[in-house]
Amino acid sequence: MMFPYLFSPLKIGTVEVKNRISFQPHLTNFAVNCLPSERQMYYWGERAKGGAGLIITEEMSVHPTDMAYEKLIDVYHPEVIPGFKKITDYVHQYDAKIFAQLNHNGQQCDGAISRLPVWAPSPMPDVLFRETPKEMEPEDIEEVARYFGKSAIHAREGGFDGIELQFGHSSLARQFLSPLTNFRGDEYGGSLENRMRAPLKFISAVRKAVGNDFTLGIRMCADEMIPGGLDLAQVQEICARFEASGLIDFMDLSIATFYNLYLVEGSMHTPLGYTIPLAAGIRERIKLPVFCTGRINDPVMAEKVLAAGQADMIGMCRALICDPFLPKKAFEGRMDDIRYCVADNQGCIGRMGVNKRLGCIQNPAVGEEKQWGEGTLQKAAVKKKVVIVGGGPGGLWAAKMAGRRGHDVTLYDRNEALGGQVLTAMKGAGRDEFGVIIRNEKDQVTKAGAKVKLGDEMTVEKVLADKPDVVIIATGSQPKQHPVPGADGPSVCNVWQVLNNEVELGNNVCLIDYDGHHRASATAEFLANQGKTVHMITSSLFIAAELGPSQDLYLARQRLLQKGVTFTPDIAVMEVGGEAGAKTVKGFNVYSNAWNEWGPYDAIVLAMGQKADDSLYMGLKGKVNELYRIGDSVAPRKVDMAIWEGHRVGREI
Amino acid sequence: MPTNNINILVLLRETSDPRPPARTITRGAGISERGLRRLPNPGDLTALEEALQLKDKLGASVTVLAIGPKRLDDLLRLAASSGADRLIRLWDHGLERGDAVADARVLARVLEIMTPTLFLSGNRLPDRGDDPVPALASALRSQACVNSVVAFSTRKDALQVLRKSDRGGRQEVVAPYPCTLLFEEGATLRYPSVEALTGAIAASIENWDLSQLGLPFWEVGATGSHLTSAEFGVPRPDPVRVVTPDATLPAFERILSLLSGGIKAREGKLHQLAANATADSIWQILDEEGLTLKAAP
Repeated sequence: MMFPYLFSPLKIGTVEVKNRISFQPHLTNFAVNCLPSERQMYYWGERAKGGAGLIITEEMSVHPTDMAYEKLIDVYHPEVIPGFKKITDYVHQYDAKIFAQLNHNGQQCDGAISRLPVWAPSPMPDVLFRETPKEMEPEDIEEVARYFGKSAIHAREGGFDGIELQFGHSSLARQFLSPLTNFRGDEYGGSLENRMRAPLKFISAVRKAVGNDFTLGIRMCADEMIPGGLDLAQVQEICARFEASGLIDFMDLSIATFYNLYLVEGSMHTPLGYTIPLAAGIRERIKLPVFCTGRINDPVMAEKVLAAGQADMIGMCRALICDPFLPKKAFEGRMDDIRYCVADNQGCIGRMGVNKRLGCIQNPAVGEEKQWGEGTLQKAAVKKKVVIVGGGPGGLWAAKMAGRRGHDVTLYDRNEALGGQVLTAMKGAGRDEFGVIIRNEKDQVTKAGAKVKLGDEMTVEKVLADKPDVVIIATGSQPKQHPVPGADGPSVCNVWQVLNNEVELGNNVCLIDYDGHHRASATAEFLANQGKTVHMITSSLFIAAELGPSQDLYLARQRLLQKGVTFTPDIAVMEVGGEAGAKTVKGFNVYSNAWNEWGPYDAIVLAMGQKADDSLYMGLKGKVNELYRIGDSVAPRKVDMAIWEGHRVGREI
Repeated sequence: MPTNNINILVLLRETSDPRPPARTITRGAGISERGLRRLPNPGDLTALEEALQLKDKLGASVTVLAIGPKRLDDLLRLAASSGADRLIRLWDHGLERGDAVADARVLARVLEIMTPTLFLSGNRLPDRGDDPVPALASALRSQACVNSVVAFSTRKDALQVLRKSDRGGRQEVVAPYPCTLLFEEGATLRYPSVEALTGAIAASIENWDLSQLGLPFWEVGATGSHLTSAEFGVPRPDPVRVVTPDATLPAFERILSLLSGGIKAREGKLHQLAANATADSIWQILDEEGLTLKAAP
């Protein structure tokens, strides 16, 4: 076996987990009417089926004042128990254990949803929710403790194998523990002993409710990562005291707070396994099993962490959202088949942040496991000859799915390598891991029996000469050629030309960001890395405006500023002027309407939108039996939609 | 006991190299044989060297015993090339999966048959940390046993032995013959000559089995054991020391500090100056670093 540590069992309290892989708690927005849903059952069940030893549910609200999000399960209502039973029975059939995570978010809540005041240790607003809370009175603390106990009983009666209390990055308990959020002068504030009093009350209430024969642990924030907050040394002491209480069986860990949310859910620019040393630091002090998490997307890394004694359990979250069957594939040594998470964050965290259902750019089946989960794909009733044009992510998925269904599939691409626009996008600064999306799929296409023909520019005639039953157009998009007057002259180029090194730029460059995404900011950083002076002009309030939900905004801006990139926001660009090598940008402030001119620049780089490459589709219309187009060739969007549409059409033809 | 007629028995065992990680078998209880590197037990080789030195000095006879399958013949040939007089390999399928007590019965029976003046072996097996079998066998024979032996000298009717004691201390004991000495890894085994190596290929090895010992099968191996292996797991690896990063650092730099273990990248400054200015600048740097001789005030 390749991974003896990873696949060795672990005793946690009264339960034995078959391996060291835990599917970590995270929001899904799958609950319906604040009750457990069938969607959750299939979602968690799919990860159990895929081999995870332990599933920890998303946080569940223990009290009416805890409404951080609209679609959380209200575990304090007994009505949750029947739904819980369905979920736990479903997960247990795959020899996995499932823990319920209970939480009160404290100040990190939204009173506009609950129509109740937000409760917190001190009347200090959270940086994200910005709502001044009510300072909890001692009887409020007692009430929350009672609700924790009541909720724990519902979880136990619902068939869960254990409970995890969220004391981590988003929790009332952390707010009591942290000198950053607890300014109380009573017995719940001040000294560490006092600050631990309320969290210990919560733990005691739950332990009393569930008894000693039930597994109970907590998820701690290992380091708030902000001056004045809890750091590793303080959390080591807190964890040691929690352990000494004798009330808990394991210690799960998270990191940071909403001051630095980009560290809670580190994106592609964050190092793999970035919180592992913190877990090791906690494990240095306590004997309880310690869970670690944070961009551990690879069983090889997981094995090393366990073998080095840095943690006892590997928390995988996005890695298993992306590939629920990663544990099974690792166990069987099928490393080539693992679909590695790239922490792009657009499909998971990016959707959560704007109250959409959880997704994944690389796994269209997330949240759709009932209809699209493992084992649902049916062989096609009639074998068809399928031609797919375009080997980007959409085309690859269409070819894979159609091939698996038994169709005779040929995938054409005009380039010498598969990948489409990903091959260019991955050249942006720090975006090289994006290319793993293509690594993940290209072997699957050939394993599915599809033929791949590269370096072949398809025309209407060539497609028709193949006499296909089905044609799928996945030809992507191109940068707009002439988005504003003057933008087609010399010394003006687009981001694709820059990233593909097709143009010579001078040292003084202006990049017009109408994209707000990596396409613009990663190109600006790419240029800044070459020592160029870069100025960015955007019509938005700030550059990289679309990177907020995916948690890329903070670090992207930080890196750009550190590299000397300057910004001008709020500008509608109306014209590019000037001579070659001395280009200017004219535009007006969208709020004041005041016109201005910027420059001169050696070159202007445009990130001003894409145009669908649909000429082949239009030429084939009416000439083949079944014609589909997917991804950017329909309308330029992001990679998640290309994959979604490729997956769907591959399933349905 | 006359010191010019010493009969020495050396137990030579193989052990697994503890450095590559061991893997447990997927079914049942045990360690996977795949990838294991086998070595002669270093402590046993030290015991053999001590025996051979005694042979050189006093003319003692040295018999080497290995208990295990045929591959252990290689160990015995190594002993033969080094100067051992007699080689015995004991093995029987009935001996498989014995616990320490069952194995000690076997070894005690060998001691009873051979009646050596000295029984020498290593103190421990590095892959498992200990091996109580030689000491238990000596106890079954009511024979004196000294562990952690550092040095010894022979007297007419007893041995004077220096052994390691607690916390680095040394203890000197006197042990009567017959006696068991268990050595720490120390003196390395001598290099055999080419002729001795060649000769060892054809050395005669006596093969013993349970019938030679006259022990009933129910007293040895798995049937004679008190312990049964139910489960085998890898141990909880030791935690690693983690340094708390400077709390005043920005968050991302704290992460980088954690991942690097607190090691900072080396910083440098680039000075692009004319020759004279470069010389002045170097002098200034040396001066700031306190590397120049200052004139006395």
